Amino acid sequence: MSQAVNSTSLASRFPQLREQNISFAPGAGGMGIGLAVIGAIMVAACAAIGWVGPNDIHARQALAAYHVGVMSVLAMCLGSLFFLLVFHLTQAGWVAPFRRQLENVASFLPIAYLMVWPTIIAEIAVGGRMFRWLADAATGDPLLGRKSFFFFGGSEIGHGHAPFPIFFVIRAVLYGLVWTLLTRRLISLSREQETAVDATPFAKARFTSAWGMLLFALSTAFAAFDWLMSLDYKFFSTMWGVYYFAGSAFSAAALIAIILAVLRLRGKLEGTVTGEHFHDIGKLLFSFTVFWAYISFSQYFLIWYSNIPEETAFFLHRSGKWSWLGVALMFGHFIIPFVVLLFREVKRNPRLLTLVGIWAIAIHVLDMYWIVRPMVYSALPDPPHGPLVGLTDVLGIVGVLLFFAGYLIKKIPSGNLVGLGDPYLLEGLEHKNYV
Amino acid sequence: MATPMYVTESGEAIHGIMAEFANPADLYHAAEKVRDAGYSKWDTYSPFPVHDMEEAMGFGRTILPLLVAIGGFTGASLGFLMQWWMSGIDYQLLVQGKPFGSFSDGGWQAFIPITFECGILFAAFTSLIGMLALNGLPRWHHPLMKKERFLSSSDDKFFVCIEASDRNFHPERTRALLEGARATSIELVEE
Repeated sequence: MSQAVNSTSLASRFPQLREQNISFAPGAGGMGIGLAVIGAIMVAACAAIGWVGPNDIHARQALAAYHVGVMSVLAMCLGSLFFLLVFHLTQAGWVAPFRRQLENVASFLPIAYLMVWPTIIAEIAVGGRMFRWLADAATGDPLLGRKSFFFFGGSEIGHGHAPFPIFFVIRAVLYGLVWTLLTRRLISLSREQETAVDATPFAKARFTSAWGMLLFALSTAFAAFDWLMSLDYKFFSTMWGVYYFAGSAFSAAALIAIILAVLRLRGKLEGTVTGEHFHDIGKLLFSFTVFWAYISFSQYFLIWYSNIPEETAFFLHRSGKWSWLGVALMFGHFIIPFVVLLFREVKRNPRLLTLVGIWAIAIHVLDMYWIVRPMVYSALPDPPHGPLVGLTDVLGIVGVLLFFAGYLIKKIPSGNLVGLGDPYLLEGLEHKNYV
Repeated sequence: MATPMYVTESGEAIHGIMAEFANPADLYHAAEKVRDAGYSKWDTYSPFPVHDMEEAMGFGRTILPLLVAIGGFTGASLGFLMQWWMSGIDYQLLVQGKPFGSFSDGGWQAFIPITFECGILFAAFTSLIGMLALNGLPRWHHPLMKKERFLSSSDDKFFVCIEASDRNFHPERTRALLEGARATSIELVEE
C-alpha cells in the first residue's frame, strides 16, 4: 500500500489535480435544489391522485408508480455501495480518481431506504393494496399460511383483519441499519484518509468491506424478496435476490459513467478521469448487461421448463397486454447494449458512454416497472383506463428520479471531486488498459 | 525455403542483428529509434514487462477481438441451427409437451443454453488458437536461443533483434542504428 501524500505538493507535481480541475466554486449545483423540489412536488401530486382518485385503482397505481421509482433509485445506490465494497476489498487502484462519485451516489442510500417507508406504512394502514399478502391475510389462504411466519411472525392469519407484519417490519429496519452503517462508515473513513498520516483508514475500510460484503449480499437479497418478490406472495424464485442485484450493479455503473462524463463536459477532471477509466466502467456496464441476461434467462428458463403453477403465474401476470415489456427488456436490457458495448470506441468515448448509460438507467426503470406494475391489475378482471392512469406513472417514477438527480447535482460539487488522500490515487491516475 | 538475402562468410543464412542493452531505459529509447526508423519485423526482449513498451515499439491494435467476436457469433449460430434442425426437423421428440423449435411456437427458448455455450466455446477456442496463430506460438526453436549471450535476457540484460527479412534491413545501417542507441554489444544471429 502506498503512503498517503501531502496534498499541496501533489498539485504541483500533478497538474491534473490543480484545484480548478477537481472542485467547483462554492454554491455550485443550486439547480439541484430546484430539481429536487420539482421531484418532490411530482411525488406529492402522484400521492394526491392516489388519495382523491375516484377509484381504488388510482391508489394502487400511485403506490406502484412511487414504488417503481424508489426501487430503481435504491438499486442504483446499492450498486454503488457494492462497487465501493468490492473496490476496497480488491484494493483496486484504478477507481481512486472517481471513488468520491461512488461515495456520493451511495450517500443517498439511507434516504432511498427511508423513501421505502411511506409505501410500507401506507400498505399496513390500508391493509394491502399492492402487497397481496397483507390483503389475503385477513381472509387467510393455504399458501400464505405456510409462509405467514416470514411476514407476521407468530401471529395467526385469517381472522378478518391482517395482523401487524412484525417480522417483515423488523427485517426492513435491519436493512436500514446495515445500509446506513456501511455507507456512513466507508464514507467517513474515506474522509478521514484526507488528513491521515498513513493508510490506516483505508485498511479499516477494507476490513469493514469484508464483513460488510456479506451483510450487503444478505440485506439486498432479502430486501428484494420483501419489497418486490412478495408483491405476489405465491410466487417464489431463489434467483430473485441476484436478479435485483444484477440490475442494481448495472444501473450503478451506468450512473457513474454519466456523472463522470458530465463532469468532463463541464471541464472538470481533465487528465484525472481519462478514456482509460471510461473504458473500464464501460466494461463493467457490459459485464453486468450479460450478467443480468444470464440471471434473468436462468430464472425464466427454469420456470418455463418445470411449468409449476405457482411459478408460471409470475409470467402469466406479465403476458397479454404486458408482454411487449418483456420483449422490450430482452432487447433493451441485453441484446442492444450487448452489441453496442462490444465496440471499444463506445466504451472509451464519454459522450457515447453517456448515451448508453441513459439508455441503461431507463431500461432498468422499465425492469422495475415490469416487476411492479402488472401486479396492480392482477386481482382485477377488467382494469379501468383513463388519463389519470398514465399520469400517476409519470409523476411517481419521474418525480423520484428527479429528486435523486437533484440530490446528486447538489451533492457532487459540494466537496472535492477527487479524494486527494487516497493511497491509490497515483496508481489510479496512471491507469491504462494496455489493449 | 526462399533464398536468404544475407549470408555469413561461411554461407549460413542470417536471421537478424541482435543488440544488448544494459537497462530498461536504454531498451525503451532504442525501441523508439527502431520504431521511428520504420522497421516492422523486430522485437524486444526483457526479463520483466516494461511499461508502455508497446507504445515505444509502435504496436497497432490486434485484430484478435474481431476474430473472437466472429468466432463467438459463428458458434452461437451453429449451435442454434444444429438444435433447430435436429429437434425441430430431423428427429422431433416430444418432451414434457414442450414445442419443437420454431419461433412461432416458442420452442427456440429451449435452445438458448446450448446456443450460449457454443458461442462461449467457439469464442474461447478462437481466442486461444487465434492468439497462438498471431504470435507464432508454439515453436520448438528460435534462432536467438543459439546465442549464449541471449540467455541473460531472462536474467539482467535487455535485447533488441531486428530480422534480416525486414524491408528496411541493411547490414551496416541497421548495425549503426543500434550502435547509436547505446547498445552494449551487437551480434549477428544465424538462422
